[in-house]
Amino acid sequence: MKHEEEPVIAISGLWMNYTDRMVLRGIDLKVYRGQIIGYIGPNGAGKSTTVKIMLGLVEGYNGKVEIFGKDITEGDVSYKRRIGYVPEVAELYDSLTAREYLSFVGELYGMNRTDADDKAERLMGLLGLEKSYDVRISSYSKGMKQKVLLISSMLHDPDILFLDEPLSGLDANSVMVVKEIFASLAAKGKTIFYSSHIMDVVEKISSRIILINGGEIVADGTFAQLKEKSREGSLEEIFNQLTGFDKYRDIAGEFVAVIQGGDSHE
Amino acid sequence: MNNFLVLRLLDRLEGGFRRIGVDYRVMRSILQMKLTMDGRRTPTVLSGSQRKDEKKEGSPFRVQWMYVLMGVLMIMFILPQDHFMLQMSLIFSITMFMITTTLISDFSSVMLDLRDKNILFSKPVNRITLNMAKSIHILVYLLTLTLSLTGPTLIVSLFRHGILFFLLYAGEIILMDCFILVITALLYLLIMKFFDGEKLKDIINYVQILLTIGITVGYQLVSRLFNLVELSGAFKPAWWQYFISPVWFAAPFEMLFAGGSGQSYVLLTVLALLVPLLLIAAYVKLMPLFEQSVLKLAEQGTGGKENGRLADFLSRRICRSREEGMFFRFSWSMMKKERDFKLKVYPSLGFSIVFPFIFILNPVFTGNAAMLKDSRGYLFIYFSAMMLQTILLMLRYSASYKGAWIYRVIPLPGTGPIYRGMLKAALFRLLLPLFLVEAVLFIWLFGIHIIPQLAAALLSLLIYAVLCFRILPRALPFSEKFEAVKQKDFTASSFILLFILAGLAGVHYIFTLFPAGVYVYLLILVLANALMWKRTFV
Repeated sequence: MKHEEEPVIAISGLWMNYTDRMVLRGIDLKVYRGQIIGYIGPNGAGKSTTVKIMLGLVEGYNGKVEIFGKDITEGDVSYKRRIGYVPEVAELYDSLTAREYLSFVGELYGMNRTDADDKAERLMGLLGLEKSYDVRISSYSKGMKQKVLLISSMLHDPDILFLDEPLSGLDANSVMVVKEIFASLAAKGKTIFYSSHIMDVVEKISSRIILINGGEIVADGTFAQLKEKSREGSLEEIFNQLTGFDKYRDIAGEFVAVIQGGDSHE
Repeated sequence: MNNFLVLRLLDRLEGGFRRIGVDYRVMRSILQMKLTMDGRRTPTVLSGSQRKDEKKEGSPFRVQWMYVLMGVLMIMFILPQDHFMLQMSLIFSITMFMITTTLISDFSSVMLDLRDKNILFSKPVNRITLNMAKSIHILVYLLTLTLSLTGPTLIVSLFRHGILFFLLYAGEIILMDCFILVITALLYLLIMKFFDGEKLKDIINYVQILLTIGITVGYQLVSRLFNLVELSGAFKPAWWQYFISPVWFAAPFEMLFAGGSGQSYVLLTVLALLVPLLLIAAYVKLMPLFEQSVLKLAEQGTGGKENGRLADFLSRRICRSREEGMFFRFSWSMMKKERDFKLKVYPSLGFSIVFPFIFILNPVFTGNAAMLKDSRGYLFIYFSAMMLQTILLMLRYSASYKGAWIYRVIPLPGTGPIYRGMLKAALFRLLLPLFLVEAVLFIWLFGIHIIPQLAAALLSLLIYAVLCFRILPRALPFSEKFEAVKQKDFTASSFILLFILAGLAGVHYIFTLFPAGVYVYLLILVLANALMWKRTFV
């Protein structure tokens, strides 16, 4: 891949350790405009940590992280104005109504309150939530909360989107809408950086797939490139192969055996 | 969202905030959001008595009338003009207790909101703005709380004792707030240093329980305290008083307005001034450490394996069917883990222990101790069952009430085993230990000869438990939402049950009038128990 332009995200030599273990061991990564990046890996591989470092939520790492060509440790938080974020767990202030929450988030991103409110109301309407706009988020279903989070991450028209499992809880129709939104945003030059455990989705919508395992990048490229490299049929199988996980048949077999084991339960 | 008065006041200081690098507009909207959310919480002080109205837009000051009421009650301490040391010590003690416990129990969820990190830090908001918003939020809360509590006494003091007294009082209140704030924060820091998030939540839970007991017992004691004020005369300095902070704050009043003089007053006054200031300095130094530790709240504690051997052992001995044992163990572990349940039930356990002794010991204090051994005062042990109603009422609620779908999907022959298991678990986990503690103390007070009487009392309480269960409206254990507590629905049944309890004690009393009557009564009770337990749970 040849890129004439500047990368929007440039990570080099990123190491991070929590008190008891190494989470990231030397991540090098350059991301360009218009890419939809599927960031995948087993639980605890360091996906969320990477994203949180880029957002400035986690400190104390070693290495260099540049976003829009500026080192984020310089203390200038204004780069966050051009970033949208959907966190892993549906974390939002759920005693607020969607109107209150979304216009609040809009304000945090420097928007005018009424503008944010108008925009949010229209976006909510498009996702079929117009009736719930003035209802407290605590009464929402999981999918509705996820939609609110998605709206809150895109309300301010960011240039990079960090999404942690963005499709969780959404029904099939909403998934199609959101996937289409991602594709058109990418076509307009936005960058989407997301992680997911659903390999079928990653396989279909990513223009580039990065697989990390044990804090290191073990594969990076388009789906076609990954397939060629590992000679496996689906992303799921590639994932299994690259993360060195080949016992799934044994485990499943044992699991079923335990279920049918009979009277060991009370 | 409301446009709060506080925010409108802050607007005047906008220029000042901007000068120190705060993005005022952002800070304002964070504060507005926080205050709105505060208005939608149910505070501990009211949690037992009030149903939360979902629709109504609250304000963070909605509950303050409760504190204002306490503030008004404290006026009687400020009125006398001769024992300032005692009066002011009392006022500061009550105020400090109330503020500290409230701060820990209600505001901790706000101070340590974990969502802040992900939601706010990921936005283009600089640190100064965030910290300022947080500080002002805490300050607003603390000030409203303090003003509600001390406002009434403050105003009265102005008219009764003059402007100087008023100013001193106001100044000391500010110092006291600093003191409390830092002490609370340091306490958190200490706890978080050594324990994980779950443990901290448990500790917060116990503080909430303490607050509830404190308020209720406090009301009982107010009249006695008032007598204390009238009776006890001069203040005598003692070494331990240097460690009690309300005494520090009282000292200047005695010195300036009641002509108290001497080294001890000067020393106490210096402490009142110096300690809060030193603490603030320490706090500023430790602030970054605090921020780090907050993260620990989210961490998963490793936690030892819970084997529940006691519950297992008991369920095997006392439950008749497998289903019953299952629900015995389920209720047992839920009662152990559910924080809201503990918050609502443990205070009444506290009263149940204390009440019998208040009744018994009253004559002891008035000098009739010798009569105690021959009296039938042990019948007061029936009071220990007063909490049974509360327990049975509360067993239906849970914070995770939605998990109750499990009752509908499992194949169960009937609800009988569920209720029987639940009731037995409640009796064995809560009533029995409490009864045994009381019984030991009672035997120590009354002598060994009351053992048969206590056995009869226990059996009779078991019947009472079944009666409670029968009379109170039924609901599957842990299947309803806490906030839907509708106390009114239960008031009538509660009164009936109270009469029944008194009736049971009365019947017991009648049997004690005959020689060996208690043994007859025991026999009757055993039979009645067998019958009742069999009939109730079909």
